[in-house]
Amino acid sequence: MENWLKRILLITASTSLALVTSVTAAEQAVQVIEPDIERREVSVDKIDSGDFEIGAFIGIISIEDFDSEVVYGARLGYHFTEDIFVEASYGESEGDLTSYEEISGGPPLFNDSDRDYSYYNFSIGWNIFPGEIFIADKYAFKSDFYFIGGAGNTNFLGDNWFTVSLGAGYRLMLNDWFAWRIDVRDHIFDRDSFGQDSTTNNIELTTGVSFFF
Amino acid sequence: MLHHKALGFKSRQLMTMLVIALLVLLALHRPAYAEELYARVTVAEAYIEIHTSPGRGYPVFYIAERGETLLVLKQKTSWYKVRTEKNIEGWVSINDLGLTLDSSNELVNIKAPDKESFINRKWESGFMVGDFDGSDVMSVYAGYHFTRNLSMEVALSNIYGDHSDGHAASVSIVHQLFPQWRVSPFFTIGGGIIDTNSRSNLVATKDRSENTANVGAGLRIYLDDRFLLRLQYKNHIILTNRDDDEEVDEWKIGLSVFY
Repeated sequence: MENWLKRILLITASTSLALVTSVTAAEQAVQVIEPDIERREVSVDKIDSGDFEIGAFIGIISIEDFDSEVVYGARLGYHFTEDIFVEASYGESEGDLTSYEEISGGPPLFNDSDRDYSYYNFSIGWNIFPGEIFIADKYAFKSDFYFIGGAGNTNFLGDNWFTVSLGAGYRLMLNDWFAWRIDVRDHIFDRDSFGQDSTTNNIELTTGVSFFF
Repeated sequence: MLHHKALGFKSRQLMTMLVIALLVLLALHRPAYAEELYARVTVAEAYIEIHTSPGRGYPVFYIAERGETLLVLKQKTSWYKVRTEKNIEGWVSINDLGLTLDSSNELVNIKAPDKESFINRKWESGFMVGDFDGSDVMSVYAGYHFTRNLSMEVALSNIYGDHSDGHAASVSIVHQLFPQWRVSPFFTIGGGIIDTNSRSNLVATKDRSENTANVGAGLRIYLDDRFLLRLQYKNHIILTNRDDDEEVDEWKIGLSVFY
């Protein structure tokens, strides 16, 4: 009798214990499903990017018939791939007297305000010769030689002229985000300010710095 | 007295030591804190090549092996600058980084833009040149895609005529029939304004501003990466104050980019 009672008690006790432990195990399992761990996904948007290039330049432009003058301006670019970039440029200069005006000594043909020369263009650039330059044993800097071409507008002699720009340039990356540039462009447009249509080549040589962000 | 002095000296020494310890801790802690800002990935392939500069031609100077973790510092075009556990910094291509694992042991969800990105593009912007009734025309435009088929575009144009030049602005609705095609035809309808100014060497014509309406059709051709070629024809009706409205054909070709 006692044994029988003991057995029953033992069985109930062990089953209830098993139940309790299984319940706690289940509770623990529930807790395991919701861990208090902060997950950090690799989000592409959050990675600091450096595809935009903003810069300023200064140089000389030879305005056909109007002497060579200082030109300065700014550029904003976007690099799609290591090879291809697009760029918007704006530049300002001022034409001097034409040779005729200087020689004849007569009254000037144009107002001073008409001699203001400004342009903007949208261009596509191709880093055709990427490279590296080395200074001493220690330093290596990334560089790009590129061809660039585009179209835009020139405002000169009181009119707007459709302008095609072609050129080449060299960009030296001093670090990941700072570059030194040299650019040569030919701004070509047809002008009829002297009565007849004539194609003018306005060659520009500039240097500048730019920042990537 | 002497005892107090000694204690004072000792406490000052203790303070100095504490400050130094704190500074050391801060110094040790800072890079760890900085590292927390960067995404961390684990190499899953047999190895991953690290280049000296962001470009395919630059030398591979280090190879990170499977299991190595990399911090992703920055991105430039399709290259990512990484730092290894051994503090080696270099550049990994986007497609290689796409084969690494993130903190939840899943493949990093990045890849170079392809035709699928073209189909799912939201923003589109481009530059076009062409012919506007015998004059040179140059335009920039930007568009937003509401659905794969339907988008809205804003365009600004400069027109260079023999006797006058013009500035035009327009808003258009663009519908493409087969967004999944690489060469995708579209139809467009819109309206805007056009300002016409006489050239400085002519005094006869007057400057004027008129409303325009246009219909058109064209093709978008996906090239590669984020680029598409765009060809379009538009028929403009210029609503003049004169007896007859003017009708103008415009043909343009351009290069666009999308996001």
